[in-house]
Amino acid sequence: MKKKGPKIFPMDIMTAQERFDSVVRLEEPDRVPLSLMLYYFAPLYAKVPMSRYMTDRNFYLRVMQRVWKDLGPWDLYYNVNPVSRLVYSFAMMMRVLWPGKELPEDDIAKVEELAYMSHEDYDWVMRTTERFSDMFFRLAMLPRFCEEAEGMGMVRVFGKVFLDFIRQLFSWRKEFLWWRSQGAAVQIGYQAEMPFDTFSQARNVINFSMDLLQRAEKIGQASTHMAGSFADLSIFLSKLFGVPTVQCYCHRSSNSFISPEQFKSLALPGMEIITRRIAEAGMTPILHCDGDWMKNLSFMRQRLPAKKIIIQLDGLTDIFKAKEEIGDHFCLFGDVPAAMLVMGSEVEVEEYCHRLIEEVGKGGGFILAGGCEIPPNARPENLKAMVRAVQKYGYYSKQQPSMSAA
Amino acid sequence: MKTDLSHAVQRFQETFLSFEIDSIKTQAQKLLDAGITIQGFLSACMPCMEEIGRKFEAGEYYLPQLVVAGEMFKTASREIRSVLTEENSGRPLDQIVLGTPAGDIHDLGKDIFAVLAEASGFKIHNLGVDVKPETFVKKLKETGASVLGLSSLLTTTFESICNIVDLLSEEGLRKQTFVIIGGGVTEKSLIEKLFVDAQTRDAYEGINLIRNYIRTGKKEPVV
Repeated sequence: MKKKGPKIFPMDIMTAQERFDSVVRLEEPDRVPLSLMLYYFAPLYAKVPMSRYMTDRNFYLRVMQRVWKDLGPWDLYYNVNPVSRLVYSFAMMMRVLWPGKELPEDDIAKVEELAYMSHEDYDWVMRTTERFSDMFFRLAMLPRFCEEAEGMGMVRVFGKVFLDFIRQLFSWRKEFLWWRSQGAAVQIGYQAEMPFDTFSQARNVINFSMDLLQRAEKIGQASTHMAGSFADLSIFLSKLFGVPTVQCYCHRSSNSFISPEQFKSLALPGMEIITRRIAEAGMTPILHCDGDWMKNLSFMRQRLPAKKIIIQLDGLTDIFKAKEEIGDHFCLFGDVPAAMLVMGSEVEVEEYCHRLIEEVGKGGGFILAGGCEIPPNARPENLKAMVRAVQKYGYYSKQQPSMSAA
Repeated sequence: MKTDLSHAVQRFQETFLSFEIDSIKTQAQKLLDAGITIQGFLSACMPCMEEIGRKFEAGEYYLPQLVVAGEMFKTASREIRSVLTEENSGRPLDQIVLGTPAGDIHDLGKDIFAVLAEASGFKIHNLGVDVKPETFVKKLKETGASVLGLSSLLTTTFESICNIVDLLSEEGLRKQTFVIIGGGVTEKSLIEKLFVDAQTRDAYEGINLIRNYIRTGKKEPVV
């Protein structure tokens, strides 16, 4: 029998991994799990140089260990630390400016909207072999916007990306051992921007808006064409990294960008292929749904598999209404607003977490987290308030002793 | 001549409202041929922008229509302004100083707002991204603008926004300046916390809030 990892809190019955698996199935675990999706927050909190934190793996781990010790514990480790800018660019497909390179040492990395794809490239995508189209697209486009791949052909880019993924593997495996020894579960196996959203970023918002009015069908066809390959690559890499989850970013599919009809006809078919294939492989797709998704939710409910998917909301979708609409179909994840974590008081944060736990966490299927990533300048006391909230209000069982009663 | 102009305006507006971006330059040229002034051009654009705004608010249009409308306005405006000078334009509705405060380099939402506000008759002074507080204040003084629009997609701008508001007070400009913040990371609760006058997440709501301020002179936020 496999040895269970340590508990996060003494009162816990389940491990963090068991708790995570349980909420994905929409079951009621022992307690609401907590994910603190923090990355840029850590070096600001520890007052250490951002550029070193992002490039020195051992230093990164020491900084994170300090944050864990000071503010933790929590259930899910948010592993978004790439070994290189090339790996980051391969996954996100946006030009990124790096601290210590294009930016001052202590700035957070910033993405730049750069149009690197032409509308003829939709046709090119359709001519690629469906089985590898997502990977081919990424490898072909990287030299157009990523300095580390500049001037290279697809084969050379592949070689460089491959080597960096091997480095990522060794680095992550080592880190994961520490996080698991603390009782945390690792949140992400592989992560990448979904095809429809990648096109939106690659064309830039202006060109993509024109495409939506002038050649929408091509966008839909190319997105669907790449979906199977996206899923296969995600499954392969998640297995390699030893974590059965895929965080799929859909930054441009919300109603803050496109209409529900455009979502349904252009983005959703690909999303369906991706989520079904990942779920059939026994893995969990996490849809990172920034923006307002309210009008898309009913379509997602109709087409995406039940009790297999996590929907991350960032505060722009009403998570309480989302619970009513899709709470019996998807696990919800979120959504303490970034503004509250920076400008709000501990009391405000704790009260909001309490409401989330009571209403969105009712019956299970909920992970408490910030709306999107924890902002770099969040008040540390507010993160402690989130940790406190799951201890005070997060236990499901009536028999379970609570912090307030203790 | 007058009939020609009104016919050209009608064709221009039809082209605009059907998002025929490839024909908009030709239609702008026809406006020039028919003797349009810059003021006449802006008057022709305004009802189109209002119609698109209404449909956006009603949930019939989404961001792509706003973006394409903005691009069409920019194309037509370039064509018109390449021939006509600003002197013919009459007095603009009001001036807005706009920018992304220090700590953030996102410009997408800000630029969409800038074009839509310009097409709605405002004079825009777009200062770009990562802008220091002193630069905003300097521009407000220089132009006499009464509206300051601050765009924010990262919480790292909050401190800058506070500094801007403080500097406005120090310089005696706070009372006569309507400060509006916008962007994905902003929310209504920040009006009080950052000492600003209004907040929005969509361009048309922002334009309406500014219009409301200009019309009434009141800073009470319309929540």
